[in-house]
Amino acid sequence: MSDMTYTSEMTAPTRVSPEARRGGLKAAERRFGLLLLVPALAAFGIVVLFPFLEALGLSFYAYTIEMSEPEWNGIDNFVEVLTDGAVISSFFTTMIFVGLATFFSILLGLGWALILNHPFPGRTVLRGLSLMPWVMPAIVAAFIWGWIFNSRYGLINALGMELGLLEHPLAYLSTPAGAMAAVVIAKVWLSVPLFMAFFIAGLQSMDREQMEAARVDGAGNWQILTHHVLPHLKPVIMVTVVLGMVGNLQHFDTIWALTGGGPVRATTVLSIEVYRRAFEQWDIGMAATVGVVWVATILPPAYFYLRELMKGTE
Amino acid sequence: MMLDLTSTKAKIGFGATALVIGFFLFFPVYWLLISAFKTNEELYRIIPTVYPHTWSLEHFRYALSEGGLLLQLGNTLFVSLGSAVINCTMAVYAGYSFAKYRYFGRRPIMLFMLSAQMFPFGLLLITIYPMFTTWGLLDTRGGLMLSYIVFALPVATYMLYSYFSQVPNELIEAARADGASDLRIFHTIVLPISVAPIVTVFLYSFMWSWNDLLYSLTLIVSEDKRTVGPGILLTYLNDSHSDWGGAMAASILASVPVILAFMGLQRFFIEGVTAGAVK
Repeated sequence: MSDMTYTSEMTAPTRVSPEARRGGLKAAERRFGLLLLVPALAAFGIVVLFPFLEALGLSFYAYTIEMSEPEWNGIDNFVEVLTDGAVISSFFTTMIFVGLATFFSILLGLGWALILNHPFPGRTVLRGLSLMPWVMPAIVAAFIWGWIFNSRYGLINALGMELGLLEHPLAYLSTPAGAMAAVVIAKVWLSVPLFMAFFIAGLQSMDREQMEAARVDGAGNWQILTHHVLPHLKPVIMVTVVLGMVGNLQHFDTIWALTGGGPVRATTVLSIEVYRRAFEQWDIGMAATVGVVWVATILPPAYFYLRELMKGTE
Repeated sequence: MMLDLTSTKAKIGFGATALVIGFFLFFPVYWLLISAFKTNEELYRIIPTVYPHTWSLEHFRYALSEGGLLLQLGNTLFVSLGSAVINCTMAVYAGYSFAKYRYFGRRPIMLFMLSAQMFPFGLLLITIYPMFTTWGLLDTRGGLMLSYIVFALPVATYMLYSYFSQVPNELIEAARADGASDLRIFHTIVLPISVAPIVTVFLYSFMWSWNDLLYSLTLIVSEDKRTVGPGILLTYLNDSHSDWGGAMAASILASVPVILAFMGLQRFFIEGVTAGAVK
């Protein structure tokens, strides 16, 4: 059984039997079904729903470390957030990070999938090894790239100097553009493997005969790629774009470990902004408000993703 | 064959792309490995050596004896296993419930649970923190375990839902006709044939917990309960000093368990994780 038939079976459950059996469904059975759900729902309520609703509520309160009780603040927090240059700049920093990281992860993931889709000796092993960055802790990725970008002993500096491009080592992580490049590269490195896996799964369901026919008609590699492969992969690309955006909008770990949001605020994305406000300045009210704005940025891609996911269910 | 590599131009294009992406993916891993084995004297050079001229275990020795890494690895293992067990158990029942039972509100509940991975984890943390303080769960490994439900439960449930949907209803009906209870059917008939997806989900949860930084950094305060992510961050790269050799050695030791766990089950794993998104 190829990987693809397995995945497609998994997403398209058999439709016949539940219908057939619906008539005989007893109330007791239904109760039992709901009962199975109770632990998960309870846990979910405790660590997701309740915290979320409470944070939503707090976004309308002033609540800092000096205050013993939250104080109703109406929409003042939101007004402040929308007029505060810091939050606006975090918003744009987030967009730049998400845009670049998503784009390059997909580009390289797709390229690597096309290469690993071509048969050659050692391909299976290489596929397995390719997943390594994704499996590793994000902190490890931050360390590796922090070391490669190191201001004194980093590899990038050494290469630049060997090639005569640099006279002195540069402190990349201390410049806004360098720091952004480093966090994007580290995140892309972490994400490429997963996207590669998605694309490989997608490529396996390509219609080979159709491609052979196109070949016979004289289509070159480029035509095959643009006329057959990419259109076929379109749904997978859509899903990876959305998943990538959601993941990158959420991302905190490598950025925090690599730059801490700096230099100054150059890599302060919304996740870092919220964390700093909540756990460094202990301004819970404003942190919640910025967090709600952050949710608003995640909602559109999340909506598309969930819609895709629910399509396969009955 | 999708790509035709008979022409030289195609061969060069393919080879060059493979080389560039392969280098990007694998060279950092190589650099991590060899940096960990270099002596400090060799490590801190403006023009580095391409491989260690003297192989040294000093960084590993330091990490294991002085750095508190063993304790942190132990904490992480405990928390990750615990959260994987919790997640897996809940996902198994919830996934089965979604797949095989029909009741009012099933789809909305499912959608709602799936949407959990979309909530920003950092935002939830703002209120989980005071909540855990009130409940005495702050700075406990049990609390951290509980908080990790956020990460993996939605996807875990979906993966198992997809799998259980494939289990033929005839199998369940036949057992029902024999008078077995639903719970018994699930435990004695369905679970034994579902080992592979359950292990996948277990590993998926385990990985999320093992690799986390944000929650462990915030919800654990004491040194002796610290897990490996914040542990190595605070030990090796803090404001006062940075020990890159130690950081590399600790990174390797922190990665080995997840890589091992992943290797054996790679195939199932990829199928499980991409299921639902790839049609």
